Amino acid sequence: MALSKDELKAAILKKAMESPKPQLYVKDFYACDPDTKPRDIKKAANELVTDGKMVFWSSGSTTMYAAKGRAKDESARGV
Amino acid sequence: MAKHATPLLDELEKGPWPSFVTDLKRQAEKSPQCWDILGQMELSYKDRITHWKHGGIVGVFGYGGGIVGRYSDSPDKFPGVAHFHTVRLNQPSSKFYRTDMLRKVCDIWEKRGSGMTNFHGSTGDLVLLGTTTDQLEPLFYQMTHELNWDLGGSGSNLRTPSCCLGKARCEYACYDTQAACYGLTMKYQDEIHRPAFPYKFKFKFSGCPNDCVASIARSDLSVIGTWRDDIRIDQAMVKKYMAGEIPAEGNAHGSRNWGKFDIQKEVINLCPTGCMSLDGGALKIDNANCTRCMHCINVMPRALRPGTDTGATILCGAKAPILEGAQFATMIIPFMKIDPENEFEELVELIEKIWDWWMEVGKNRERVGETMQRLGLPTFLEVMELDPLPQHVKEPRSNPYVFWKEEEVEGGWERNVKEFRKRHNM
Repeated sequence: MALSKDELKAAILKKAMESPKPQLYVKDFYACDPDTKPRDIKKAANELVTDGKMVFWSSGSTTMYAAKGRAKDESARGV
Repeated sequence: MAKHATPLLDELEKGPWPSFVTDLKRQAEKSPQCWDILGQMELSYKDRITHWKHGGIVGVFGYGGGIVGRYSDSPDKFPGVAHFHTVRLNQPSSKFYRTDMLRKVCDIWEKRGSGMTNFHGSTGDLVLLGTTTDQLEPLFYQMTHELNWDLGGSGSNLRTPSCCLGKARCEYACYDTQAACYGLTMKYQDEIHRPAFPYKFKFKFSGCPNDCVASIARSDLSVIGTWRDDIRIDQAMVKKYMAGEIPAEGNAHGSRNWGKFDIQKEVINLCPTGCMSLDGGALKIDNANCTRCMHCINVMPRALRPGTDTGATILCGAKAPILEGAQFATMIIPFMKIDPENEFEELVELIEKIWDWWMEVGKNRERVGETMQRLGLPTFLEVMELDPLPQHVKEPRSNPYVFWKEEEVEGGWERNVKEFRKRHNM
């Protein structure tokens, strides 16, 4: 059975905090709940950014996610 | 007064053509950071390496796209470009601008950034080149609240959709490209502004097979207008072209004398499928064999027009040369009605099916065309619930083996071996 939205967000955040890699692709979060569709995992990860718990890191062509405080060059953020 | 000596860049001002170096020097009088662009570029020309670093978590609140972070690797030498971020604005459909809006954009950009622009980036956005991190939020606020103008896509987002001139200016348009482009831009706002996919995804809409936005080469989902009835022929006009009364190709090549128009040589013999002929002075087209190359229609637009039962061909998977080389899109659906009345229901259903599959099986930084190539067209068609069609076949098969699935064979794999051996002794 798929996790609830709050449980999913907690699992994603835990993964982002504990992963050896500070920056993760959205696909890296799919394993947080194999029963949830990739689009719903994407939505939950994006909500965590809006909540201020994660940040986007973009190369311009690809976007990755990081727990707040873990991304490189975080001091450059404009908001 | 120039801040840096730029002898190498100055060479680029010596030709008869307009020079971006001259433009930058002129802009630098108003925006001094442009002197540092010139200085850093001169250093790059000298060192033969870029001195830009790009990427980072720079952006505006709530959005995961539209801003591309850019930094100088020599901020001490070039402090004006220590931060020099790019902003992508979602261009209006077909790039029809009101001049008062362009003036307002430029005024805001001269205040909040370098004043340098790029009309347009490869995806189609209006690109604002160069601003500092602290200006991003005020710029975003002014663009969205004062001009009602949004950012475009970047990163692993749906990129800003783009379309040809469509029915606004072109009689060949087989569907309303602007309506489709605008409709899907509005429908997929979340995918444009926040990352959604393993990598970038682009829509492009062309109204006819001339494909003026080159969607077949540049977009992950290409929607190209077409028709499924017959090319309309006005035989009286054909005769006028043949008599030289109407210049061919709208007189586009009229600056030079190419001799008398020869319909046999310039149209019929150039038809890629040989489906045209002259019969007693009347032009005949075997429409079943027409590949919609558009050549005859382009040469004689007043005599030939696309049919009236119009829609679009849907193709998937084009990309630029990163990884395995440039790739054209693969034709997936030969004909689909593109109807704003039902909010492009059929197209939307296909798009979301493609996304769901690609998000699940696509590797990180893999375009959908590369996923299709890796897993094969038969797999893709099966997932999309599409029956294979003759139009999907690229070339006659060279592999003599045919692999069937059990459900495709009558009786499955179960068979009476004794009965089989009666007929096939070994």
